[in-house]
Amino acid sequence: MTVRQDDRLLDGPLLPVRCRRCDAEVLVRKASWEQTSIQWNAAARAACTGLSGDPHATCPALRSAIQEAALTGAIAVME
Amino acid sequence: MTATEPDAVRAIEAEAVSSRFARGWHCLGLAEKYRDGKPHTVNAFGQKLVVFTGADGETNVLDGYCRHMGGDLSQGTVKGNEIACPFHDWRWGGDGRCKKIPYSRRVPLRARTAAWPTMVQDGLLFVWNDPEGNKPPDEVTIPVIEGATRDDWTDWRWTETTVHTNAREVIDNVVDMAHFFYIHKSFPTYFKNVFEGHVATQIMRGRSRDDAREQRDGGGGGGPRMLGNSSVASYHGPSFMIDELTYHYEGYDLRSVLINCHYPIDQDSFSLHSGIIVQHSDALPPEAAEATARKLSDFILTGFEQDIEIWRNKTRIDNPLLCEEDGPVYQLRRWYRQFFVDVADVAPEMTDRFEFEIDTTRPVESWQREVEENLARREAQGASA
Repeated sequence: MTVRQDDRLLDGPLLPVRCRRCDAEVLVRKASWEQTSIQWNAAARAACTGLSGDPHATCPALRSAIQEAALTGAIAVME
Repeated sequence: MTATEPDAVRAIEAEAVSSRFARGWHCLGLAEKYRDGKPHTVNAFGQKLVVFTGADGETNVLDGYCRHMGGDLSQGTVKGNEIACPFHDWRWGGDGRCKKIPYSRRVPLRARTAAWPTMVQDGLLFVWNDPEGNKPPDEVTIPVIEGATRDDWTDWRWTETTVHTNAREVIDNVVDMAHFFYIHKSFPTYFKNVFEGHVATQIMRGRSRDDAREQRDGGGGGGPRMLGNSSVASYHGPSFMIDELTYHYEGYDLRSVLINCHYPIDQDSFSLHSGIIVQHSDALPPEAAEATARKLSDFILTGFEQDIEIWRNKTRIDNPLLCEEDGPVYQLRRWYRQFFVDVADVAPEMTDRFEFEIDTTRPVESWQREVEENLARREAQGASA
């Protein structure tokens, strides 16, 4: 069971976004304004303080940082 | 191969299915079923197992074959806390040790068979499978389901069915938003996945689908109007999914917990189970809740049959071709892989948190149009009939 790569990442890779509240850096991809992929690592997860409530919610501070990165063009929105 | 030439034919790739079975807790169904004083045959993890409950009330899982001459223990008899082989009456304890051979003065050395750790929780029997033979770690748990033991919820309605394909197919559904519309006649409007550690979650909200109303409401028609549903469904490990599923009706919410779980029989088949409990409320007194649980259980079983029909005819595919409105199949399979490697080889990428939220704008537009077309067609047919 080899782990394969999602082909969609060839069209648009994950790019780093840093949260201004906790300084965690995650990898993000946005296929559209409404679609978001967020890849965490252990360091970012340990740093984040915004996930203590609902474990399935996106950290609000990180969500803002991603929104800003998308608006400034730091990450491309593919549509 | 490279996928760079846009007009090259895309090949479907599928490696041979691994002969290894997932590490983790697997549910064998209602614990009550195994407490009838008889041994039960369970084909799981490529083997025959015997499940029996001793006089002490402990439910045990052993390898099905007696180490003496290979007799089938699941055809034997429970005697005290032991299972007696039908062939020569050798007695095996839940710890896997031979306790007694009635016709012999002593039990030989090395008289030990494979025993699986078990757990009974919320009325369900779980067995721990680990190809490395380790005990279940404390942090790898199945969460307690509050409603399962409360008086204001119904008892489990449980179903079991054998499916002849590899269990990865049922796991893939965690990320497959679109199949809920096309296969299960539901209408997702919000869809997100979160994978972290040994938990994979699907958050879905949906609206009621007017062109499928008869199916959903069991043809009653007269009841309160269903508006939609909210679901948070998590696999805790490789096989046990707890779905906190709320149906929103005009004026009230109906809370239920749905279990969708399986254990592998062998590489090409698995036993697929569903369980449902429904909360009583002012709007849903106990008897109505029971009736609803029964109806939902039938509905889920219909859903399984719809999936099974697809699985029966589809091919295994390791390299699905995805559009941007599909969920994270590859990342889900990366998460799922942690259960098929040694604990020492579980890589951070398999367990690191990953979030994926689908943009449902286009799917919702497209599905709304399709629903309207279906309704218009039905109306036209009704008018001409």
